[in-house]
Amino acid sequence: MTATTWHTHVRAAPDTVQQWWVLTTRLIVPSVKTGEVLSSIVAPAAFTASFYIPLKTVMMFSGNGFSSYAQYMMPLVILQAAAFTAISAAFRSATDSVAGLNRRFGAMPLRPLVPVAARMSANIFRLLISLAAAIVSGYVIGFRFRLDAAHTLGFLAFSLLIGIAFTLGADVIGTVSKSPEATTQALVLPPLIFGMLSTGLAPASQFPSWIQWFVRNQPVSQFAIVLRALAGDTAGNAGTISWSLVTPSLLWLAAILLISLPVAIRLSSRRA
Amino acid sequence: MTLLAARTEQTTTGSETTPGALVRHTLIQTQRLLLRWARNPVTLLETLLIPCLLLIMLDIVVGGQIQKFTGDDALYGSVPMVAIVGALSGAVASGVLLGRERDAGLLARFWVLPVHRASGIASRVLAEGCRIVLGTIAVVLVGALLGFRFHQGPLAALVFLAVPVLFGLAFATIVTAIAVFTAKASLVEGVTILTSLMMFFSTGFVPLIAFPTWIQPIVRNQPMSVAVDAMRGLADEGPIARPLTLTLVWCLGAIVLFAVPAAIGFRRASRR
Amino acid sequence: MSVAPSPTLTSTGGVVVEGIEKSFGDVHALRGVDFVAAPGEVLGILGPNGAGKTTMVNVLSTLITPDRGRAVVAGHDVVTDPAAVRKSIMLTGQYAALDDMLSGYENLVLFGRLMGLRKPAARARAKELIAEFDLERAANRRVGTYSGGMRRRIDIACGLVVRPDVVFLDEPTTGLDPRSRQGVWDLVRSFKNAGITTLLTTQYLEEADALSDQIIVIDHGVVIASGTADELKHRTGGSYCEVVPLDLEEMPAIVAALGSLLPAENLAALTPESDRITIPAPDGAKTLAEALRRLDDASVELVDIALRRPSLDDVFLQLTGHLPTTETAPEVVS
Repeated sequence: MTATTWHTHVRAAPDTVQQWWVLTTRLIVPSVKTGEVLSSIVAPAAFTASFYIPLKTVMMFSGNGFSSYAQYMMPLVILQAAAFTAISAAFRSATDSVAGLNRRFGAMPLRPLVPVAARMSANIFRLLISLAAAIVSGYVIGFRFRLDAAHTLGFLAFSLLIGIAFTLGADVIGTVSKSPEATTQALVLPPLIFGMLSTGLAPASQFPSWIQWFVRNQPVSQFAIVLRALAGDTAGNAGTISWSLVTPSLLWLAAILLISLPVAIRLSSRRA
Repeated sequence: MTLLAARTEQTTTGSETTPGALVRHTLIQTQRLLLRWARNPVTLLETLLIPCLLLIMLDIVVGGQIQKFTGDDALYGSVPMVAIVGALSGAVASGVLLGRERDAGLLARFWVLPVHRASGIASRVLAEGCRIVLGTIAVVLVGALLGFRFHQGPLAALVFLAVPVLFGLAFATIVTAIAVFTAKASLVEGVTILTSLMMFFSTGFVPLIAFPTWIQPIVRNQPMSVAVDAMRGLADEGPIARPLTLTLVWCLGAIVLFAVPAAIGFRRASRR
Repeated sequence: MSVAPSPTLTSTGGVVVEGIEKSFGDVHALRGVDFVAAPGEVLGILGPNGAGKTTMVNVLSTLITPDRGRAVVAGHDVVTDPAAVRKSIMLTGQYAALDDMLSGYENLVLFGRLMGLRKPAARARAKELIAEFDLERAANRRVGTYSGGMRRRIDIACGLVVRPDVVFLDEPTTGLDPRSRQGVWDLVRSFKNAGITTLLTTQYLEEADALSDQIIVIDHGVVIASGTADELKHRTGGSYCEVVPLDLEEMPAIVAALGSLLPAENLAALTPESDRITIPAPDGAKTLAEALRRLDDASVELVDIALRRPSLDDVFLQLTGHLPTTETAPEVVS
């Protein structure tokens, strides 16, 4: 190894787009090869089955104003798919951070936002798969889009927006954490609590009175209300889209994004 | 001279194969395991906090509806179910720990000590049993706050406490048999999915009649449902003989099938 | 090109550091560091844990901006033109940062493409490096399964997919077995032959000794000594030979037998309580052999005779013990 013939004379000539592409595919290709991407399909399906089949009779018999439990429950399926993707995103960013890859990238001719952009691109890829699986699962149990194309596109766009907010926040959390395992374990709790104590599974009136205020106003319930209004329902109780309906959700999403984005930028620049 | 004379009286190493040795060595190792759990905040969280939280949330979200639907208190299904779920999730954590101790060489270290050969496994069984009893008591206490009572007397209450222990030990035997061979992250994921599915499709989550008829046979006879039904009969009212018998069949069957591979695997892992 | 007032600064290669200061809250990691590494030179940066070595490397590799001072790496200022610095450097960390889920080959291709090589070029370069670093058998296994020595090799290889001007090896042999350590040493020699400047931080004096053209010693955020390895060793007295007799009555006999090997000051340092004699060993093992021969001729029985090298502790003891006077001593950066 003392000869120098193997030392190259080619110097670094970084290309930002190529860098972004390379870092994105490095995240996506292995997960496809190992079949890990299947979990993005299986998780929404398993969630749907596990909540719909046991609960549909119990939750519907006293009536919630909807034509079917599937139509009522669909938003929670979407939200769960988004949360699941977010948890994997946190695990991924924590692994990279702990491995010292961020430090290495910091000393390479890489624009600071490229690694974050690549991770988010990979996250959006998984998100799209997860959301598609969620909608297919919904169709299987009887959910249908009951309104016009504009509303349906709105539903899809809003779902995507929620997913992006969740995964960006999770990416930031993962980057600052010291342990991928502990992070994923800790992150299981918020979706559990916010998901179950929301109007995703049952109307607020079916909850004990002391908790109804929280159930009604917490962000997951707000997201569910908007999604239901965008999907519509034959029984006519899904609500109509209006600024007063949508504003709380948009504020919550804006809050998540406005906090996560600058932190993500600062973390990836890492100039102390 | 005095130095030498003093030494021969201090140690109590008799043969390592006597029953007394088994008891002594098992108790020592059990104490180590319990101390370890007590000092690890994550295990405490999993064993005590999350089951209690789960119980409360189930009561809030579906408890009211189930009460309206069947007229019975849902607690007599959810308390048993949560106790069992707590027992199972702890067993997974123990399996992972076992794999880690094997990889770190700790098992081998214990193996070459002059202790009874069966004390290693016996201590794990005993420690697991203690943990499950503690977790069950915690769940019952929280349940009591929500209205759970033992209506069938102290003997039935004792059998009630014993069921999760048996169930958890049977499950731990299966997990150990697998963990000593692999102990990878996929084990944890796979088992978690399995326990979640068992939980959702059990009579502890919602009553049997709430399920669609086509799935009722599966729900009725799966291991968690029969255990929950047995415990429900022991605490409140309802048949005991059938569900208890089936529970014993499932648990003893699992132990018989998996005990030998688990023991063989444990020996192998200790000799790594 | 950035401002270059110093005459030693060249447009490619070389590192110039002037008065760098950096604090993290109350911790003053760097309190005015000055040194120069000429292009193609190997500079050893020696110091115990917490001395500021890693912080220094972080400043020079643009991971951190200094509070005060100037640093120019490969002709570019780290503060005003960090992007250009990053194009010309290669950094390895103590904890080799790689993607564990990818194979060695895939990691090399990844870094090649990140540095701007087209896919075919990146692949060819990856194969070349795998052959050079003796990783053919492991190239297609996931890096997570590699042994420590292999991980270091692939880590360094990933930094060499394109040509760097300055290489920062941050404690590269910590925790490696002797054979792997030798491999890293050979690599550093190849950098020198290729004209690449190397900054090597280490805790091991013999490592800095074997590889460096120049050594600087950092303690508590300042450079407390610099010079060649020989100069430093000379300052601390170099290797020495320790003779421990079986019977302390024989001390005079030893003194007589050693004769010229035992300098006057060592003789004077002996007290009635001394249980061993120390002689300088400028020729290392040869001195030891000569001492042993003389003692054997005199039929003196020994418990132990050994060659001891000055450790980093000795260096520091000497250097920090003399700190007040070293400011006047000729330790100006050459």
